[in-house]
Amino acid sequence: MVASFLDLKARNPFEFYASYYPPVYAGRKAYTIEELMDGIRKVDGYSIFYHVFHPIFSSHVVPQDLHNDFAFWIRDELHDESLAYKVSDVEGAEPKTVEQVRDEILKILESSQNRVRADRPFHFITCRPVIYDTGKRAWSVGEFIDVLSSITMRSVVYHFVFRRVMGYSSRNDFSAWLEQEFHASALADRLSKIDPQTYVSEEVLREDILSLVERVIYS
Amino acid sequence: MIEKYAEIIGENELDAIYRIAEKLKGLSVLHVNSTPKGGGVAEILSKLVPMMNELGINTQWKVIRGDNDFFNVTKSFHNSLQNGMGNLNQDSFSIYEKWQDINASEIPLDYDVIFIHDPQPAGLIKVRKKGKWIWRCHIDISNPYPPVWEFLRKYVQQYDAMIVSSSVFGREDLNVPQYIVPPSIDPLSVKNREISRFTVERILRKFDVDPQRPLVTQISRFDRAKDPVGVISAFKGLKKHIDAQLVYLGSPASDDPEGDQVYQETVKAAEGVKDVHLLMLPPDSDLEVNAFQRGADVVMQKSIKEGFGLTVSEAMWKRKAVIGGNTGGIPLQIIHGYTGFLVNTPEEATHYLIYLLRNKQVREKIGQDAREHVRNNFLMTRELRDYLMVMLLSIQG
Repeated sequence: MVASFLDLKARNPFEFYASYYPPVYAGRKAYTIEELMDGIRKVDGYSIFYHVFHPIFSSHVVPQDLHNDFAFWIRDELHDESLAYKVSDVEGAEPKTVEQVRDEILKILESSQNRVRADRPFHFITCRPVIYDTGKRAWSVGEFIDVLSSITMRSVVYHFVFRRVMGYSSRNDFSAWLEQEFHASALADRLSKIDPQTYVSEEVLREDILSLVERVIYS
Repeated sequence: MIEKYAEIIGENELDAIYRIAEKLKGLSVLHVNSTPKGGGVAEILSKLVPMMNELGINTQWKVIRGDNDFFNVTKSFHNSLQNGMGNLNQDSFSIYEKWQDINASEIPLDYDVIFIHDPQPAGLIKVRKKGKWIWRCHIDISNPYPPVWEFLRKYVQQYDAMIVSSSVFGREDLNVPQYIVPPSIDPLSVKNREISRFTVERILRKFDVDPQRPLVTQISRFDRAKDPVGVISAFKGLKKHIDAQLVYLGSPASDDPEGDQVYQETVKAAEGVKDVHLLMLPPDSDLEVNAFQRGADVVMQKSIKEGFGLTVSEAMWKRKAVIGGNTGGIPLQIIHGYTGFLVNTPEEATHYLIYLLRNKQVREKIGQDAREHVRNNFLMTRELRDYLMVMLLSIQG
């Protein structure tokens, strides 16, 4: 039964693209919570993506216990651990986009009484995606799992995180394909519940996606 | 050549470079800088240019020329942009303009993409005919001497994009996209590649350093910005607790008249302190640098003012725990407590020297994490990929 599901052929293959996000200085910096809020209000969506979701890559360094750049700076420079943890744990699962994440972070910061002025400013950075075709295609769920286990995490993050949180699609590409091609709603829904915002290692995200797929398929 | 990096960065990273480069195949690209060898810019271009050609991008590299007056002016530009102080007059700007005109008449500038490196050739933009022009700024321009920056800014504004090494160096008074591309090291160069323990020990012994006893190393010019006297002071503190040795390895710099004076100050500071080795070796002593970094138990880069400080990444790549000054590009490389330690004073440096020399497991863990941080962020293949992406985004507008 499971074997036949894994081998079912899709009408349209999953086409694996990937992306890097070269950083661009956003032209503003913040020394205080007020200035941080002002910057968060004004920067583009790519900047929110860069500071909140891009730390999923281990090359983008944040401490293991904080999930985004804003939280890292609040703890290191404003010495406000409690506020840092709240900002760190902001929700980023579906259907949240960078705009909702931006609003949620602002809401958290508005409640802060912190008046510290940092020695080192927060530098706002934005980014521009450079997307390329990996050449990999999956025609069945079996092939999809095989590709997923070895493909560059630049591809996984592009399809699972970037396109959805930037509002290019309302659902992550994996769930959308599984639903559309195989009516695999249970699997698609479970994948949609993974919150990428709380990952600071791309390989941990890969493992969690794969083990969830395995659990659902073999349950 | 690029294939050789596969075992270091992995096939997925290499594949990304090929696939991004595919979009740029057939383009003509020119790099322009002010020196064919010596210094970090020439070093990186000597590797990047052949690699870009190997990827099917027709890439050339030209060097501008000038007389002593011109290079004195550009040296003053360099210092005043980095230090925020200067003493230039209208003649300086005229000399700069004159040599831009001369070089513009001699260097063909008919390319699809032109990278201009640093301020020396930045004025060539005024004769732009076609293509996308990108200004690659390798120095810290966050706190420049205003008259020089205002002079340079009018050129920079005409570029399609610029590249800075860190967001800390970004400017708010420009409307040109400022891409952030940190510099990088070549893991296959003589300075960074694996060498045998035998070679390391042979070189240590050659300079009367005992491979069996704890060793602290700093590789830096004798320049106040690198705080050699502070290094001696930190080592004196360490000596009260641990019978360690210090190697401070520098090179004579012909463009640094203060070098000898700072060297003498360092010698004086080290008087009466046992096991201090102040070495002055030729600038091309790459194997010796490699050996002293690998032979060290802890590496220091205790700068009080720094551009990017790539010697930090060199040591981190060799799995060393590094104690670095909290300045310039060093905090990008050293994440305090994770990939090394950042310090502001000699006393803090002493503290972490003792801590690291007493705890082998800690320095091995930090050394391993440091190497991965460099692998992810500061290898030449990453810089190559970044250049390709900046080109692509500039062409796409």
